[in-house]
Amino acid sequence: MNTFQVVLSGAMLGGLYALMAAGVSVTWGVLRVINLAHFGLILLGAYLTYQLVTIWRVNPLVTLVVTVPALFVLGALLQWAYDRLNIVEFNSLLVSFGLLIVMIQVAQNIWTADHRELPRDINPFDNGSVSLGAVVLPYDRLVCIGLAVLLLGGGHLMLQRTFVGRGMRAFAEDRTVAASFGIDHRRLSVLLGGAAGASAGIAGMAFMLGNLIQPSHAYEWFGIVFAVVILGGLGNLLGTLYAGISVGALSGLVGVLWSHAYVPIVLFAAIILALVLRPQGVFVRRRAA
Amino acid sequence: MTALATPAPKARIGTIPRGLLILIGVSALVGVLATFSRGLGLASYHLVLISTLLFWAAQATSWNLLSGFAGYFSFGQGAFLGVGVFTMAVMAGRNDLPYLLAIPVGGLLAGVLALVIGAVAFRLRSLRGEIFALLTLAVPFILGSIALNTRFIDGGLGTTIPTPDRPDWVPSFQHLMVLLNLGVATIAVGVALAVYHSRLGRGLAAVHDAEDAAEVVGVPTFRYKMTAIVLGGVLGGMSGAVFAMMLGYVEVPVVFILYIPLFIILICVAGGRRHWAGPLIGAALLVVLTEWFKVASLDQYRDIVLGLLLVGIVVIAPEGMFGRLRKHPWIALVTFLVVAGVLLLTGYYAELDALLYGMAASVLVTTVAGLPRVERLWQRQTTVDSEPAATPGDAATGAVVGPRPAAGPMAPPPAPPPGGRVLVSVQGVTKDFGGVRALDNVSFDVTEGEIVGLVGPNGSGKTTMVNLLCGAMPPTAGTITIDGRSIKGLAPHRVAHAGVARTYQIPKPFVSMTVRDNVAMAVMFGRTGASYAQARQRAEQCLATVHMQHLADALPESLNLHQRQLLEMARAIAAEPVVLILDEAFAGLNPAEIDDAVAVIRRIHASGVSIIIVEHRLRVLQQLATRIVVLNRGTLIADGEPSTVLNDPAVVQAYLGRQRA
Repeated sequence: MNTFQVVLSGAMLGGLYALMAAGVSVTWGVLRVINLAHFGLILLGAYLTYQLVTIWRVNPLVTLVVTVPALFVLGALLQWAYDRLNIVEFNSLLVSFGLLIVMIQVAQNIWTADHRELPRDINPFDNGSVSLGAVVLPYDRLVCIGLAVLLLGGGHLMLQRTFVGRGMRAFAEDRTVAASFGIDHRRLSVLLGGAAGASAGIAGMAFMLGNLIQPSHAYEWFGIVFAVVILGGLGNLLGTLYAGISVGALSGLVGVLWSHAYVPIVLFAAIILALVLRPQGVFVRRRAA
Repeated sequence: MTALATPAPKARIGTIPRGLLILIGVSALVGVLATFSRGLGLASYHLVLISTLLFWAAQATSWNLLSGFAGYFSFGQGAFLGVGVFTMAVMAGRNDLPYLLAIPVGGLLAGVLALVIGAVAFRLRSLRGEIFALLTLAVPFILGSIALNTRFIDGGLGTTIPTPDRPDWVPSFQHLMVLLNLGVATIAVGVALAVYHSRLGRGLAAVHDAEDAAEVVGVPTFRYKMTAIVLGGVLGGMSGAVFAMMLGYVEVPVVFILYIPLFIILICVAGGRRHWAGPLIGAALLVVLTEWFKVASLDQYRDIVLGLLLVGIVVIAPEGMFGRLRKHPWIALVTFLVVAGVLLLTGYYAELDALLYGMAASVLVTTVAGLPRVERLWQRQTTVDSEPAATPGDAATGAVVGPRPAAGPMAPPPAPPPGGRVLVSVQGVTKDFGGVRALDNVSFDVTEGEIVGLVGPNGSGKTTMVNLLCGAMPPTAGTITIDGRSIKGLAPHRVAHAGVARTYQIPKPFVSMTVRDNVAMAVMFGRTGASYAQARQRAEQCLATVHMQHLADALPESLNLHQRQLLEMARAIAAEPVVLILDEAFAGLNPAEIDDAVAVIRRIHASGVSIIIVEHRLRVLQQLATRIVVLNRGTLIADGEPSTVLNDPAVVQAYLGRQRA
């Protein structure tokens, strides 16, 4: 029973991983920008949530009213700049790495390297939980998984059903052909960059519900988030959701059966295995020859 | 290889020893200065700065072997460094073993780690640069968590490394550090220099430019990448072991952090990645810069500046400073000496400020001197003796290359007498992709002296056939023999050595090399192999065959499509193949260019090379092919004389979709 509880909690925490990974996956898959600065945006989202909650003393969910638009603008600006300077694929990895370093240092200069957390008396999700028989569902993780299902599921439907979504998928397949059929790639990519930024704001808020934050966390997210991105398939939101939940559950399982220290090793092995067994299916994108 | 036969070009003779001499001279000078600095008044602060500089130079050079030369960016240099650090910690810190033993052992262990990383990463078929970068990003973190959880390595406790004993002639601990770092850095730069000038270095550069094409001209890409990553690992580990001594106290969070790979990447991107000297220049610039931040107590802004610097360099000058400095070395040196010297002499500036401002001025002046507008001013005085013919200018006009050949007979060359030697034998070959059967039980032969046209509508399996013939993928069933030798299980470069050469429909030149060097690569790594100097001479003949001699010194980017196709052909025949496969060599050419290409192919054929042409333009094949093989939906539907095959009802139907009377 204990193991089941751990796996379930892990899976719910996996919602957070999926939220964090969604933006990286979409910009990589559709825009061919590997945006490490996305981790900086999540960091910023988390600190903004902390700052607003401490000042206004409101429910953290309310702060989304400010953080989501703010990070949408930031994400859109970032994508606009990448587009303008024609930074894709490998160069984007280097450039966004540089930007991430800057963002982390800025966060550190503003909020110091010490741990920050939401004041416990205001955070309604701290420590509470729902009990279903012997199974306990902590509030903060319920919010994580709920938001993840809502956003990634909704995003998936949007990509599948709406005109904008179809345009984006056409764009991911072949940008030249899509452009010649009247799809405005500048506007689309800025919109998508903004959406990724907004998702970073939500992920940052979700992270703050049950965790402490410090600037170096941005690096620590790398391993798990890229595991989710690669296992889920680039640009595939539903895959990202499943991968997030599986990675969360697997981490929980490894933690209880073995040791938390070995989680990165197991995830790394999983990525290698995925790359070996399903190289085409998992991450290789078809390109026009 | 008979080096006696052909004298090497003069410029090449001088390059290697001169670079080596400079290297040895500088190292000796720094070593002597450091050791006897009491007389010169170098404070221990200066010694630490020199050690730091040498350490980062060694690390960056070690990183550059794979990531710079071959273009496989690694975020995992911290792993090699960390293995070295913890080898020193465990051996000298915890078990009192001599530090001079720990340095090579650290190198060895890091080399083993590199071997494992390379064996896993480079075996992944679908590995792309970005995936390699992300995988290597994870390695230091994994090592960190292993070290934290293993009692005898670290166990979260940290390790103090005792101050080492030193020989009497070394005045202090800091002197010892300078000497050890100097030793490792010299070895590292020596290795990089040797690699740069060797076959390995040229092969890695080809991998950087176009890995598929490199493999096809005969570069053993897997072996070369493995060699580069292992050399880099060993050097990184040795340097890491010395780093542990500099630290004195070793713990996981200090070693396995992202700052280390970031700083190394920044050094190499800033300095220039494709030449061995790039990392040295980058290390000098960045170590002085970061030291300046530390002294000015602006540490909280250091990462902001470094991050922006990385962004700025990638956007503005992705090739790094080395290329710019090399264009005007004297201007660079004089500017640096004048600015730094004057600032020092005024007495108002500390040495570090003077150094930094000197470097900044030097970089700025060479950058300005390299601007196109300034460059033109500069060249106006010197254009007189430069030869105008070899400029890429005439490439841009798009004119047909070379003298037009006299209009040859439009009939194909006579078919060779039957019973000749079978060069290519395809027997019952089938290829499945998942559930799709791309080729189904296809059999045909190519005998000596033939020009075989391989035709078929889109999706008929032509490209798959080409890929199977040059070993890019294995057939699901059936056998392919080249000149009597089965190519089953051979890597593409081995198939190339067996005698298959190919061109690509979309040309894949080595973009960093001149046209002549592109062809020379194929000679060097081809069936017979040759030294670089010999290869360049042979390349001239191949370029003459395709009438491209006048473009030998041009870079591929200045060529038009037709010229790039001709370059592909020159590169393919340079390997002296048994059979040459031309993949849609006429795609996108205008009629005049097609006539020109046809003439070139006739010349190649006349020189004794058998040819397989993949083409869907029947007019061209009627002029060229001695025999035609037709594929449709993966099966062979006709094989015979052009006139017979092209009138075959099945062929006509496959092409036109209906029966023609």
